[in-house]
Amino acid sequence: MGLILREKAEYLATFRWLEVFLMETLARWVPTTPEMEVKVLMGRHIWDAAQHADALGKRTFELRAPLHYTLTPLPPYLHTMQELSRVEDTPGRIQAIYDTIVPGFAARYQRYLQNSDSLLDEPSFRVIEGILHDYARMRKESEELRSELRETLVFDADRAQGWSRQESAVAEIVSHGSGSTLAREMIA
Amino acid sequence: MTASAKRKTVLGVVLCADPAREECFHVAQLDSEMQKFESGMSEEARRERLHRHMNNEMGALEIAAQCLADFPEAPWELRLQLARQAFDESRHVRALYQRLLQLGGYKGEFPIGNFEWAVTNMCDTLAARLAIQNRTFEAGQMDLLGALRQIWRSVGDETTAEVLEHILADEINHVRFANQWIRKMIQSDRRLLLKVASAVRVLAETNAALSEEPGPSSGETSAQQHTKIGINVEDRRHADFSDDEINEILRQAGMSSLVA
Repeated sequence: MGLILREKAEYLATFRWLEVFLMETLARWVPTTPEMEVKVLMGRHIWDAAQHADALGKRTFELRAPLHYTLTPLPPYLHTMQELSRVEDTPGRIQAIYDTIVPGFAARYQRYLQNSDSLLDEPSFRVIEGILHDYARMRKESEELRSELRETLVFDADRAQGWSRQESAVAEIVSHGSGSTLAREMIA
Repeated sequence: MTASAKRKTVLGVVLCADPAREECFHVAQLDSEMQKFESGMSEEARRERLHRHMNNEMGALEIAAQCLADFPEAPWELRLQLARQAFDESRHVRALYQRLLQLGGYKGEFPIGNFEWAVTNMCDTLAARLAIQNRTFEAGQMDLLGALRQIWRSVGDETTAEVLEHILADEINHVRFANQWIRKMIQSDRRLLLKVASAVRVLAETNAALSEEPGPSSGETSAQQHTKIGINVEDRRHADFSDDEINEILRQAGMSSLVA
């Protein structure tokens, strides 16, 4: 059986947290990353993540949760994200975002689509399909950048693979039964 | 420690420490360290203009990004605008860099300065940062771009003029949303007005303290510099400056005769 309505809202609220986290991580890294081309790439993608968070936050409201409702992921995933956000070197930051976080989030969005229904939850599908389309473009742009800076930046593939294993090892990230979808009724 | 919390001291003035830059760049602390040219539009001077502008846009990107990092509790609609600004500024950096390369320039060819970042990030409220960066620096850039696009056209460089036209269009939006949000924030918390006024005063004091350094540009006040380039009244209106505010800016720039 697929997700019930309340669970869908909880997933989308958690996804919204992920997008705000992505936006804020990129925002913190722009002034502290020396390479101009990398700042430019991250600056572009701040706006992508913000738009994703906005669309998800509007959709949570349609699912009887508060507008822009946001749920923090479960502690194991939260700790993994916090650890990644502490990476200091430029190649590591690029790998953390484009080899670990973005593909990791994409896999979770795909799983949501597999567990939801494309008719009754079609508005969520539209939002998520748009995000996945943006992710593909963002990763392509990061590949182009790596190619441009291949003589100055050295990437450690093993480290990125380790992070990806750590990210994907966390199966469940959503805090169910939080009462999120009831929050509007409680406020009323 | 966040990037905006680090400090440096220049001529006794405490400012926010510089954002990260590649080693190829020489970061100037004073205007007198910047390269200046006898002929304002020689080939080298053109590259210097683009190089300086590129770094200024990088600073604007960094300031917008730092606002997102430092003020997570700001209204979501305002954060969206700041995210959009980060996107716009990053495109400006890219466009100017492309043009610089086309004209034979390169990163680090000239000294750069991070004055806007250094002053803006001394403010501890978002309203004050918007007042300094968007409403003051970016609005000043609107005036400058209004004149510069014609200067580039006058030397036959339509490509650069068109880049500046697009940048100007984006900057108007950045100034407009800042004007609107500053008003909204002050309406809901009158104490912010003091913060904004204090930030504007600190900016004027900092400008005065740093321009005491003898150099090619000393002796010229910002009002005099503004008089030279003129006030972009039409775009300031688009950016939601009121007529009273525009008149006040014209007076400060010594253009009282233009005020109706």
